[in-house]
Amino acid sequence: MPLIELRDVTRRYLIGEQEILALNGINLDIAQGEYASIIGPSGSGKSTLMHLLGCLDTPSSGTMHIDGIDVSRASGNRLAELRNAKIGFVFQNFNLLPKLTVLQNVELPMIYSGISAQERNKRALHAIERVELMNRIKNTPLQLSGGQMQRVAIARALVNRPKIIFADEPTGNLDSKTGATILQMFRELSEEGSTIVLVTHDNKIAAETPRRIEIRDGRIVEDALTEAAFA
Amino acid sequence: MNLWLGFLIGLKEIWAHKFRSFLTMSGVILGVASLLSMFSLTAGMAKGMREYMQQVGGIERVGINTQEVPAEEEGYWEISPGRTVADAEIIARSAPLVSHVTPVSQINNAAIQRTNQTFRGEVAGCWPDFIPINKHTVAAGRGLSDLDVERGLRVCVIGRLAVQKLWPERPKDDPIGETIRINDRPFKVVGVFEYYEREEDKRRRELGAKAPPVNRLSSRPGGGGGGIGGGRGGGRFSPFERKNLTVIIPISTMFWEFKSANMVGKEDQGPQLKLDALTFQVADTNRFEETLEQVHSLIETTHRGIHDFTFDTRQEWFDAIEQNVRNTRMSGGLIAGISLLVGGIGITNIMLASITERIREIGVRRAVGAKGRDIFVQIVVESAVIGVIGGLLGLVASTGIMQILIAISPEANAPVVELDSVLISFGFAVVIGVFSGIYPAWKASRLDPIEALRYG
Ligand SMILES: Nc1ncnc2c1ncn2[C@@H]1O[C@H](COP(=O)(O)OP(=O)(O)OP(=O)(O)O)[C@@H](O)[C@H]1O
Ligand SMILES: [Mg+2]
Repeated sequence: MPLIELRDVTRRYLIGEQEILALNGINLDIAQGEYASIIGPSGSGKSTLMHLLGCLDTPSSGTMHIDGIDVSRASGNRLAELRNAKIGFVFQNFNLLPKLTVLQNVELPMIYSGISAQERNKRALHAIERVELMNRIKNTPLQLSGGQMQRVAIARALVNRPKIIFADEPTGNLDSKTGATILQMFRELSEEGSTIVLVTHDNKIAAETPRRIEIRDGRIVEDALTEAAFA
Repeated sequence: MNLWLGFLIGLKEIWAHKFRSFLTMSGVILGVASLLSMFSLTAGMAKGMREYMQQVGGIERVGINTQEVPAEEEGYWEISPGRTVADAEIIARSAPLVSHVTPVSQINNAAIQRTNQTFRGEVAGCWPDFIPINKHTVAAGRGLSDLDVERGLRVCVIGRLAVQKLWPERPKDDPIGETIRINDRPFKVVGVFEYYEREEDKRRRELGAKAPPVNRLSSRPGGGGGGIGGGRGGGRFSPFERKNLTVIIPISTMFWEFKSANMVGKEDQGPQLKLDALTFQVADTNRFEETLEQVHSLIETTHRGIHDFTFDTRQEWFDAIEQNVRNTRMSGGLIAGISLLVGGIGITNIMLASITERIREIGVRRAVGAKGRDIFVQIVVESAVIGVIGGLLGLVASTGIMQILIAISPEANAPVVELDSVLISFGFAVVIGVFSGIYPAWKASRLDPIEALRYG
């Protein structure tokens, strides 16, 4: 069974009288250990799809399973639990809490999973080590460079050992060189066995992921392996 | 997320906006300070009142008063002898629920004299039980005895203030065995009562912080408040002064010397003399009504079925005083409570501003797994922390306020800080803190995670 399974998923937005069909009949399977990209022009529904996959939102119709669990009609609390336990997020604008230190930012997801302070600390340090920021644990995000902030965000996404990591334009706010090191990090994580889905509108980035899913106007128009799959 | 963590986050949040938080707290600080000060002031008043009530005989002292007879007994009320010593005797003999009883016959404006010192005052003829009923204590010599009454001896027990008036040159001495004249008849002083004063004055005097009582008394304006209505500047209760001026003699002597009764010893030689007062003490206040019924049926007999008497209990009076204390507390509490509520609105306001600033933060917390109720708890705890800190500062502030109150009114019933009041005031602040946070917390917990993440 795939890790994520979407069947005929739609997502509608109502703006006054007008209905917007942001997603229109999505069928998608993502298997354990896959590294995929979702690409498409602005307004095509990438972020909307990400929010669904990341359990921040539920479909207007159709079904969606994660790890065998039907989340199509799950309650808000259930979704929060799933996000906490199974999903890690990396955002374009990092979304770190500016008043907390690097260490505290990375510990944040574990606060909501009832892990002891000692264990939190241990696991957070481990994750920070993985992104090579051990010398910055006492700093606040505003004292870091963009690339460093995104690495903190990756550490935070990793810390609860999620089933899958979602990244929405993770290099969008970074210069190309820094962006490359972040992508390198995703590649390494993928090789270590993580399941990763990243959203981009950059074909070069999409070409680096083994699987490339292109959407347009809320529909998947192409879903294929890239050359990277055979590298 | 556990509460302790929420508490720490709250503290940090408050610390990050020190000045703003302090301004927000000031309402709570003032509210708690005024609430506790008010509680302590009224507790001080109440304590003073209760002391006084005890001094005048307490709730257990009951007087039997005369009253107009009911209409249906109008025609033949004269068959009742009225209040006489016989009433006291039958109560003493046949009312086991009564612990003490005394008849009183008095002269209101007697000339009390020693060589060239004279003052005019009240002299009461009574039984020895007068002393316990009126909560008198004999400090020197002895009280009246049954023998004094039986024989109609010319002896008296006098209050400290009477001593002071008659022996101004040595007001602190106990003139036991010396002779004074009451309306020109010689009486031997056999006892002197204790000097009655408020506990607090006594303590202060014993600490030596103040001049001895005699000097204070003469320099003190009489009367004044002290009670609920008297406000903080009130001086001494005049009843204390009156009690200190007490002069008592055996009732038989009173009849014999001053009322030309036909009495020898306790034998009734003719129509009995009417009393000025008849008072008794209830042995067990839990059986108050029962005691009154017992006495009622006895007096009904001696008065030949005429209901020309009534009971004068302090119940109502004391109730009224307690009610007064409660009312003062209520209205003061209401005002202080309102200021606390206003403080609470301030907290709500600042928390609303704070969550608007932190929509993004809330979105991030939601994205990494916070439930709506985690956000709710975080905001409420933060708001409660403001209440807790404000409450603690308020308690500190109120000790300052009370120092000022004590300083500007040294004679007032000193505020009494009770643990209950401290807990209630502080608890109220915490409750206000919690309640003020509920609406902002509810709003914050309902934010849509996606919109919150996208915000700003
Ligand atoms: N909350 C919302 N309410 C109404 N319409 C929305 C909402 N969110 C998205 N949409 C609409 O849904 C469609 C898809 O939006 P989405 O954000 O998924 O696009 P995207 O592919 O992520 O674009 P971009 O590359 O610019 O980020 C758009 O037409 C957008 O206007
Ligand atoms: Mg987008």
